[in-house]
Amino acid sequence: MSAGTQYYIATILVYISVNAIASWGLDLQFGVTGVLNFAFILFQAVGAYTAAMLSLGPPSSNGGFQHYPFGVHLPFPVPIIGAMLVGGALSGIVGLITLRRLRSDYQAMVMLVVSVVATVVIESVIGLANGSAGLSLIPNPAHTISGVSRTAQSWLFVGICWLCMVLVGVIMYGLVYSPYGRVLRGTRENEAAIEAMGRDATRARMQVFVIGGAFGALSGALLAEFIGAWAPSDWLYPETFVFFTAVIVGGRGSVSGVAIGAALVCVGVQQAVQYLPIGSDPTVLASLEWIITGLLTMLFLWMRPQGLLPERRRRFSIPELRKLPAVGSEGAVELDA
Amino acid sequence: MSVFISALGFGVVTAAILAISAVGFTLQFSVTNVFNLAFGSVMTLSGFVAYWLNQVGVDIWLAMLAAAICGGLISVAINELLYEPFIRHGVNLFGMVIITISVGLIFDHGLQAVVGPSFFSYNAPAGKALHFADFVLTRQELAIIAIAAALTAVVQGALQYTRLGKAMRGLAVNPALARACGVPTRSVIALAWFVSGALAGIGGVALFLDISTFTATTGSEFLIVIIAAAVLGGVGSPRGAVLGALVVGVVTEVGGAYWNPQLKDVLAFSVMIVVLLVRPQGLFAQLANERAVAR
Repeated sequence: MSAGTQYYIATILVYISVNAIASWGLDLQFGVTGVLNFAFILFQAVGAYTAAMLSLGPPSSNGGFQHYPFGVHLPFPVPIIGAMLVGGALSGIVGLITLRRLRSDYQAMVMLVVSVVATVVIESVIGLANGSAGLSLIPNPAHTISGVSRTAQSWLFVGICWLCMVLVGVIMYGLVYSPYGRVLRGTRENEAAIEAMGRDATRARMQVFVIGGAFGALSGALLAEFIGAWAPSDWLYPETFVFFTAVIVGGRGSVSGVAIGAALVCVGVQQAVQYLPIGSDPTVLASLEWIITGLLTMLFLWMRPQGLLPERRRRFSIPELRKLPAVGSEGAVELDA
Repeated sequence: MSVFISALGFGVVTAAILAISAVGFTLQFSVTNVFNLAFGSVMTLSGFVAYWLNQVGVDIWLAMLAAAICGGLISVAINELLYEPFIRHGVNLFGMVIITISVGLIFDHGLQAVVGPSFFSYNAPAGKALHFADFVLTRQELAIIAIAAALTAVVQGALQYTRLGKAMRGLAVNPALARACGVPTRSVIALAWFVSGALAGIGGVALFLDISTFTATTGSEFLIVIIAAAVLGGVGSPRGAVLGALVVGVVTEVGGAYWNPQLKDVLAFSVMIVVLLVRPQGLFAQLANERAVAR
């Protein structure tokens, strides 16, 4: 295989893993718990900027052509972990404003507004993250390993991304298919019922907001390190919608389904458009991507609202339930997944 | 002082455009309970209809009327052909939000694929500048303010004093009860979509006149400010939408004049968030329970 082909495949693999991580973050919020987070892309952006500032070094480095408040040069996993912490913390702040008191349709609108405001602030206050030009020359951790070819370095970064994806996937399985996951699904399906069972629905929403935000930030950190640059045009508010489409196409609340949805929607659509016989006008191609994404969402909500791989739902008939040991006794069987 | 006065003038113009659009957005929401995020696309599409008419020599105010009719028809068509079937198909409130975003994206990018990413502007003279003390407004701006005042008064009056307005308010409060009382819900809902679309059309042309250059996504970008005004006033309350529009319009322009003009929208959104923290239902609306989609 030529180096070019290898690089192409490596790029696709990086994008699949990064988008799967982000889509899982949104799935935990929207698919499993029912929080409409229209500001999701903001948390990916925060992760990207944090990772950039934690690996670029002080603003005076690289000739001081970029403006950002502070920067350090930390070794590999630290910028990514820092990005997750900052993403989770910011999620906590946004969640405190939106999730506690507002009606859920207001929540969705306010988050949409927050996402737009963040773009305006970053673009106009140059000192925060270099304005519309964005940050560049973000170091790729795999490129610091000397003595191997550039191709090997690309594959190494693919390895890092897929390792992160597997870790997030394991966490997702642990969260979703557990008693805690049942609280989350209960919050989505019937808030009054879950509160009557003594669970705090608002707290559950806050928790998935923070965890999902941290996943979003992780995906942003990996993406920024891979591309080497990050600017406001990468995270305009409609981008959140692509992840919503991935979750809907894959199957709301289904961990493996959403990974497939992310690969198909976030990577597949973009690649497929390149091969359509409609010329190469970048505006038309970009518009077509959005149109296909919108049509896919509507098509799935009409024909297959449960998605490609639906969330598992266990149903018990009444006689079966009678045979089960009492809840809390030894050998009690968990209902629902 | 004169900076303040002239900024206030701009603020009133922005508020006028916002009021037209926010009343349209919120009226349709209160009647049907669909958060129509394709509203900005209807504004853009009608604005472009006015642009094409304007290009062949139609006067801009006549083109605005055509845009209103066109916006109304597009809005009714979207509801009848897309939203209604999805609602009947059992898609819930939040599913509908996502459907409206899809429709908005398809419209915006369909238009962008046709007209390209360039900037457009109407061929309409701004008119002589008129001075009132320190206020400087063009004839065009005055016309926009007058149109906004007339339209919002007509909508508010119709809602308050006509049988149709009563039917709409009834439908907003309790659709089942309204239907049981003999309100022809289907046609009232269709009319709400038409009025909302017509206001979107007029708001779109007014917006494009005011900012002078526009693209295929300008309406959707402005929708965020409309939502801020509507949420601030209390979604579903046309009276609140006018007040929200005034607050957002004046705060953005006056704040922009004294502070960083690029950050003027941030001010409006900060006001909105602070108000919502104190009064989660917005300034005017009652703390309504979430209801199902009306049909």
